Amino acid sequence: MNYQAPVKTTLLEVRGLRTEFHTASGTVTAVDGVSFTIERGERVAVVGESGSGKSAMAMSILRLLAHPGKVAGGEVLLDGRDITRLSESQLNAIRGRLVGTVFQDPMSSLDPVMRISKQMIEPIMRNLRLNRDQARVEAIKWLGKVGIPEPERRIEAYPFEMSGGMRQRVMIAMALSCSPQLVIADEPTTALDVTIQAQIVEVLKDLTAEAGAAMMFITHDLGLVARFAHKVAVMYAGRIVEFGRVEDIFANPVHPYTQSLLGTIPNTSMLKSDRLPQIPGLPPDMRYPIIGCAFKERCAAANDRCRLEAPRLTERGPDHRAACWTQHGLENGATLKAERPARTNKPFEPDGSVVVELNALWKQFETSRKMVVRAVNGVNLRVHQGETLGIVGESGCGKSTVARLLLGLEKPTSGDIFISGLAQMVFQDPASSFNPKMTIGDIVAEPLVVKRRGNKAERLDAVRRLISQVGLDPAYAERYPHQLSGGQRQRVAVARALALNPSVVVADEPTSALDVSVRAQIINLLVDLKQELGISFVFISHDLLTVRYISDRIAVMYLGEVVEYGAAEEVFADPRHPYTRALIEAVPVPDPAIESRRISTPLQGELPSPLNLLKGCAFASRCPMATDRCRAEKPTLPNHDISRQVACHYAH
Amino acid sequence: MADIMLPTASARTAGFPAAVSAILHQRLLSHGKVRLALLILIPILALTILAPVLPIQKPLETNLRAMMQFPSLEHLFGTDKMGRDIFSRTLAGVQVSLMVGFSVAAIALAFGMVLGTLAGFYGGVIDRIIMTVVDIFLAFPSLLLAIGLVSVMGTGLVPVILAISLADVPRFIRLQRSQVLALRSRAFIDAARTVDASQYWLMTRHIVPNTIAAMLVAASIAAANAILVEASLSFLGLGIMPPQPSLGNIVRDGQTYLEQAWWISTLPGVVILLIAVGLHFLSDGVRELLDPRSR
Repeated sequence: MNYQAPVKTTLLEVRGLRTEFHTASGTVTAVDGVSFTIERGERVAVVGESGSGKSAMAMSILRLLAHPGKVAGGEVLLDGRDITRLSESQLNAIRGRLVGTVFQDPMSSLDPVMRISKQMIEPIMRNLRLNRDQARVEAIKWLGKVGIPEPERRIEAYPFEMSGGMRQRVMIAMALSCSPQLVIADEPTTALDVTIQAQIVEVLKDLTAEAGAAMMFITHDLGLVARFAHKVAVMYAGRIVEFGRVEDIFANPVHPYTQSLLGTIPNTSMLKSDRLPQIPGLPPDMRYPIIGCAFKERCAAANDRCRLEAPRLTERGPDHRAACWTQHGLENGATLKAERPARTNKPFEPDGSVVVELNALWKQFETSRKMVVRAVNGVNLRVHQGETLGIVGESGCGKSTVARLLLGLEKPTSGDIFISGLAQMVFQDPASSFNPKMTIGDIVAEPLVVKRRGNKAERLDAVRRLISQVGLDPAYAERYPHQLSGGQRQRVAVARALALNPSVVVADEPTSALDVSVRAQIINLLVDLKQELGISFVFISHDLLTVRYISDRIAVMYLGEVVEYGAAEEVFADPRHPYTRALIEAVPVPDPAIESRRISTPLQGELPSPLNLLKGCAFASRCPMATDRCRAEKPTLPNHDISRQVACHYAH
Repeated sequence: MADIMLPTASARTAGFPAAVSAILHQRLLSHGKVRLALLILIPILALTILAPVLPIQKPLETNLRAMMQFPSLEHLFGTDKMGRDIFSRTLAGVQVSLMVGFSVAAIALAFGMVLGTLAGFYGGVIDRIIMTVVDIFLAFPSLLLAIGLVSVMGTGLVPVILAISLADVPRFIRLQRSQVLALRSRAFIDAARTVDASQYWLMTRHIVPNTIAAMLVAASIAAANAILVEASLSFLGLGIMPPQPSLGNIVRDGQTYLEQAWWISTLPGVVILLIAVGLHFLSDGVRELLDPRSR
């Protein structure tokens, strides 16, 4: 796909934009001289790790910064007009009319006490100068376009009556309804499940193509970039370090940071024996002035010049600019490889001993209104020694409930759980999984103290050994959780899980709160530990690329049931259940060549409510191949001993 | 591994009490709000303690040759209609005030912590019983409750303390329970439960330490409030009875003479204000210091 904008006219031009946050601990320069242009009809992705200034940059364009933030310099030309000098009321006319915005969190960006109709109709009346009835027709038209069923009825709903995916569609309909020339979207699909994300991405693509609006969207998901963007701006430490067409950025990245980011994602051709490349170190502290290139400490190609002089963006090809003193960045990506040697390629061989076995496991929760939520419906699973079982599925599929049952945090309604040895857990959110009043040492020692293992001196030794085992300096034992970065905290979580020599570690979305570069470090750590200690892992995630990389076997869950189970490679290479196929299809792959070839027909509809389950196949309501038989009769999984299982009447 | 960083020099002592004492030593005196609070409270406290040995008239001593005198070096706050020294009486009143404030805070804290933690942690029947009683007490306006209690039990220091505590304890239980409910679903509680930590362990190690900061703030506000309520009760003639001085009944005594001798009511009133403001600053400062994120 060689992209050419339909009419090459510049819509947005940003010159030398600088944004500062004046905080108690100093002035943070969040955006440090950013310049770029967006043509009409173009979709530009802004990528970068958290703290790279990508959101601050987008919000600065419309001066929507939260309190301590201030635009300190630069020009923003929208259609040739400098909007940085406009008054607040002039700017308000532009927000909404010329520029639409979509924010990340669909739960908080709609007014909860206002009907959708009121929130949508008034801006349309004001901006398009229509009367109330015309505006209503317009609003209903847009709701229909973004895929809201029965828009005439749903327009009178309150936000709380809609699911997250529906609310995000409403946000998008609102942003587009005044036919803006530019749409700014800050992580518009991050809070949504992959199948819903795929639907919304298609909607946005169609709508921007149809209306000819330009779009700037911020994301950390490089797969989404490959699927969606025409151009990419890579940000690091408040600056754009590389800018170009999506196919150039993915095929010939020049800046070492771009190269590293792309390298840290597990890709489909990667062997399991390869370690994930990781970016060492952490981004710089933006409170202090940066001398030289901001990326120099983490860059293997850095030379003396990088330490003294900050590189500027220079032309590297047609529509391709990068800010690096070197010609090609890292040589062959070889320097990106992690320092440990590649592991020996040991194919998975079951040694027969079963560490975890779940038999006909059911779990129901009673809600306050005496309704029954059926979270887990007859799950049978086995995990062998030294094996990693990946559990994938959308939110609400029961995967986290399975984890909690496994750890004894919930009691099953029926069925039994067999665990040989001990199960321990690594939690999703490294911010809330530690007691903020305890030191890291006390946190790691807690399981030992509770179980009365060893005396004080022995426990201290054990804590030091565990902390260094997960790659941290033992001196961290004296720190508090809030003094650590997200990745370091997740290492501590692993150390705590290992304290009692468990036979199985359950990791529930252990990397979803982390940036890509840190994510690779944690995944490498888990893989190393599995190799060294022979521990089994249950790895729960919605990140299919990571699950594929880390797991030996995979169980796909839908509405509390396992619908497909098998060796990871087989399931990904040859998905048989229609849901598995739809799920894999929905995940964007960080490769524009694959994405542009994809003829995407995303899975329609949403997860049915687990309150009133149908008699037949749980997936029948969304399945493209469902028949009357599927709606009447539930397909079952064959028993444990078959290595490949699919719960579908028509796929085997 | 890649992200090993050398620890900073500030090694912290382990354990909650040790951490608190470390903060008390290192940070308390350099905190702006705490300094201001101590600047107000320490002189008042010192004068109150030293009152018996100061060269001033005793609080109950009358001097009919020096009635209604304007503040002077001899009588710093002036004298009242019976020639009693207002400064000396004020110091005696402050003593009562501080006793009331401290006792109420301690009682509310003790009952609130224990009952609130039990209600929030166990839920179910225990929660329902405790919270029903709490709701009944909260249905009465607190001053009315105190007045009612004092009229049953009689006046004096102990009934006043009990009456004010009775109004505060339900609020403390509520606060503690809501904190416990929020903490109970945090992942670190689940992490401890996966190693079969006992419920006693969960409560004492994970729940209570994370509730102390907010409870201490509430306690210092309750202390300031109790001092004001005691003053109000005494002013209404329901608290500490004359001739035993309390800030409230001194203000009440002077009320009739406001036009001839404004100092009798005003100066003790200013002292009440200073104590309340000082305690509020102290509570704010302590809250900021106990939050580990602010370190």
